[in-house]
Amino acid sequence: MTDIAPVPNPALPNPALPNPSAPGATRRFVRADGPDKVTGSGRYAADLQLSGMLHAKFRYADVAHGRITTLDTSAARAMPGVLSVLTHADVPDVRYSPGISDRTLFAKDVVRFEGEVVAAVAATTKEIAQAAVDAIVVEIEPLPVVNDAEEAMAADSPLVHTDWESYEADEAVVRSGNTVSFSSITHGDVEAGLSAADHVITSHHVADASHAAPIEPRAIVAQWEGQKVTVWTSSQVPFDARAGICQTLQLPTNRVRVIVPHLGGGFGGKCGFHFEAQIAALAKAAKRPVKLVFSRREEFLAPDRRREGMTVEITSGVKNDGSITARKARIVIDSGAYASDAAFFPQLAAMHVGGPYKVPNVEIEAHLMYTNHQPSGSVRAPTAPQACWALEAHTDQLADTLGIDPVQFRLQNCVTEGDTGIAGQVYGAIGLKECIEKAVAASDYGAELPDDEAVGVAVSWWPSFPGPSGAHVKIDDDGAGQIITGAQECGTGAVMTLRQLAADEVGLQPEDFEIIYQDTGVAPYDTGATGSQTLINNGRAVVRAARQIADELRKLAADHLEAAPGDIVLADGSAHVAGTPTKNVSIPELAGIAAGGELLAAHGSAPPLDYPTVAATCVGEQGVAGWVAPQFACHAVRVKVDAETGVARVMEISTAHDSGTILNLTGALGQVHGGVLMGIGQALTEVTRYSDEGLQMNAGMLEYKLQTAADAPPITTQFVEPGGEGAGPEGAKGLAEAPNVPTAAAIHNAITKVIGTPVNKLPMTAERIWEVQQ
Amino acid sequence: MEFSIATTVAEALDALQNGARPVAGGTDLVVGVRHGKSSFPDQLVAIDRLNELKSIDASDAGVRVGSLVTHAQLMTDPLITDRYSAIADASALVGSPATRNVGTLGGNVMNGSPAMDTGAPLMVLGAQAELASSAGSVLVDLADLWTGPGQTSAASDQLCVALKMPVRPERSGSAYVRLEYRRAMEIAVVGAAASVALNADGTIADASVALAAVAPTIIAVDGLSTLAAGRTVDEQLLADVASAASEHASPISDLRASDTYRRHTVGVMAKRAFDAAARRATGEVIGIPVNRAIGIGAAS
Repeated sequence: MTDIAPVPNPALPNPALPNPSAPGATRRFVRADGPDKVTGSGRYAADLQLSGMLHAKFRYADVAHGRITTLDTSAARAMPGVLSVLTHADVPDVRYSPGISDRTLFAKDVVRFEGEVVAAVAATTKEIAQAAVDAIVVEIEPLPVVNDAEEAMAADSPLVHTDWESYEADEAVVRSGNTVSFSSITHGDVEAGLSAADHVITSHHVADASHAAPIEPRAIVAQWEGQKVTVWTSSQVPFDARAGICQTLQLPTNRVRVIVPHLGGGFGGKCGFHFEAQIAALAKAAKRPVKLVFSRREEFLAPDRRREGMTVEITSGVKNDGSITARKARIVIDSGAYASDAAFFPQLAAMHVGGPYKVPNVEIEAHLMYTNHQPSGSVRAPTAPQACWALEAHTDQLADTLGIDPVQFRLQNCVTEGDTGIAGQVYGAIGLKECIEKAVAASDYGAELPDDEAVGVAVSWWPSFPGPSGAHVKIDDDGAGQIITGAQECGTGAVMTLRQLAADEVGLQPEDFEIIYQDTGVAPYDTGATGSQTLINNGRAVVRAARQIADELRKLAADHLEAAPGDIVLADGSAHVAGTPTKNVSIPELAGIAAGGELLAAHGSAPPLDYPTVAATCVGEQGVAGWVAPQFACHAVRVKVDAETGVARVMEISTAHDSGTILNLTGALGQVHGGVLMGIGQALTEVTRYSDEGLQMNAGMLEYKLQTAADAPPITTQFVEPGGEGAGPEGAKGLAEAPNVPTAAAIHNAITKVIGTPVNKLPMTAERIWEVQQ
Repeated sequence: MEFSIATTVAEALDALQNGARPVAGGTDLVVGVRHGKSSFPDQLVAIDRLNELKSIDASDAGVRVGSLVTHAQLMTDPLITDRYSAIADASALVGSPATRNVGTLGGNVMNGSPAMDTGAPLMVLGAQAELASSAGSVLVDLADLWTGPGQTSAASDQLCVALKMPVRPERSGSAYVRLEYRRAMEIAVVGAAASVALNADGTIADASVALAAVAPTIIAVDGLSTLAAGRTVDEQLLADVASAASEHASPISDLRASDTYRRHTVGVMAKRAFDAAARRATGEVIGIPVNRAIGIGAAS
């Protein structure tokens, strides 16, 4: 399967011949929520209006680190139109966060980043709410600012959390002082491996922080009815949001319902539990519904989901025959002021700096450090784009040192079926080698190009994440189907593909199914739009439920057609006897029969998947060293560099992905295109800059440079479907994050080829590309 | 806030005299207020319906561009694209299609940003601003109009009604290029405009260069005509133009670029603008905008 580039290059052989044997080859359909979203009829959280609804505003710390000496809300409380004002004193004194409970809903004594919420107001208008927030007297005595993750490691660094030892935390998290979480992966004997090498090469890389920057700034509406609260929120993870509300406001699960209207993008930025509890608490205190809508600036500053800054030092030993003997690395990651969900980042970053290569001797350590920056958290493929960028720059350097073509070097060293990876996992049928061959073949790699152009190549990998997930499937009396799922759609189209899975089981069309989703009040649990997990987990749940319906339909049809249930075939909207298509009954007719008796209603839950064993020694084990159904990719990117100014432009990208079986080609291509564009932005223009005081200097769309449609290059995509064991239905793996991983790395390698010097800072801005040439 | 809609220029001038500030496309004023950079004035007069300020009129004396002519008009008007190409280059780079459809030349000029795209082109094309008030109209040189970032010498009761430019000499061309990090929704990191007139033998008769985003206002590069007159366009001349531009710049460091990088790249922009202007002077057709046509600033 492949995507035809928007501007096909006639000089290239056409790589675009579809593979007719691939199950997904002919499956292309438009997502069900598409028309609502593109015509403007879709409704988002910010569109909601309820009777008597109030408007919320937050008072932020506005400084990176300090102790609150005065917090006086009396003037705000006295203002006409203000119905509730809350601070830490007004809510349960609960610390939360996955992994390490280091946060409170409102700042408690100390503020640790500028976007920390100190107080909240609900008032009859936004203007009154803002005036009340401004009238709150907050005095903060400055504390020393930890403005850099490397500095946070110094023995004499001020502690961001002086009482870190008192926080509840998972036992597996290795932490100390400013170290939020430490992980190391050790396999083989790295010193012996380095000694055996013909060359030992070390490189150093620094990646700046960036943002998810979803187009919809988040909005939350909370309304109490008696003892129950309903919260409408722009969350990627409604069940997580519910859990957060329950934990912090000390409510049982059955008193909180979280509903997500259409979500205007997330990219990980809307994972986790964000502000839902503050708004629910305001609504409770005010006895009125309350609505919060973030400004773009707030969306940049307040959520605990920034893409983490990272420094990476990698040392590899290589032999003249092109083999890698050992890899040693040290990674330092900026966690910001709180742990958010990042405790597993060190181990994941270590896997990405190790990479999908055969390296027998490995010793990688990774430190996640508290600083006084906005907290980092899962943004699309957390840690991977930066770590891959560092490793793949290093990989080109290894090949260069040996005088081996970098593609050949990767083909020689990449993991294939039966190989042992860096953490000692032995892989089944995987398609990395084919990805390299296909992506490179469809690019201009090796072709004669102008002096200012080159093709860079990078490979990457990404896990699939098994998790609990459930769904209900039913067919009503007219044959119309419904899927009631806990899964969350954040724009990837994964939820939309559930219709196809259900339809295939019962012999209907995807369009015959309606999806009820994003509502914790009606559906069983799901992890949410996080970790590319929707299809592999909720897909299996939907298939399980739909199979029960199919069995019921076969029984009904068997009775009706006087045949054995095992001989009934469900296809094209009817049930027929195998080999005798004329002996049939329509599914709506069977549904009508069922409606008078035992209903066509089923529940499915995804059974747990086993994690592979790893041979490596893992300190700070976080469950991400052994990967279920790993995904692989290769991007080959042609870049043009204006050497005089350093401006780089991506001209064309050829991608190949092993994300298992592709179920909907339209949706899959959309994921690759979006991931690549985000990757280009992270490669060249997207960066969050900090002042000496630890404050963000470009918290807005004017100076935070996302890529635009005008910057989008032609993208060619090929999917490699190696078979073997996939985690999801029909062998599908995840795809939402993987395309975002290798793009920046490939761009780096192309730029280096043009200008002759590596740019070891991410993003590789025009000025940085110019600077290294001076 | 008091908001009125002027139906004639006279009404607009009356409103200004009574303390109102004018608004046309609102692409600077409204966006600035939304970003908290400024607040709305107490009185606002909308001038966007004044059709007499929306035309481009050619005469023997040159061209008079009404202050309400939009960037979208300027980038496609045949007279502008053919004879005053630098303005078309600049207009085509402004913001997005939406910005270009409502943003006006008068607004760009009177907003006084040192990073404005149309400012350097107007300067090399010898433009004067026509400022009207109830007391009458005056013509002001742009070098006298712009006094600092966001500041002009215009009195609060003066309305910019047009930009006037002299007839272009024979065998002349102009161009504007800017450094940009992406291809839409961008603001000039630095920019440069050039105007070049050639003698019949191909040597340079006259030339000028002006720079954007490297000083408190748009600035002309002094002595450029002397430097270039009588010479042919070659690598050495272009290098000299680049040096002159870099030396003349007094850039600051900010989020978009350091002063060092700006000083270097404004020279690169200047020589590329000069080259494009000289080629246009020979009759070569280079598409609008130059940035997209031959990859100046960003690779094509």
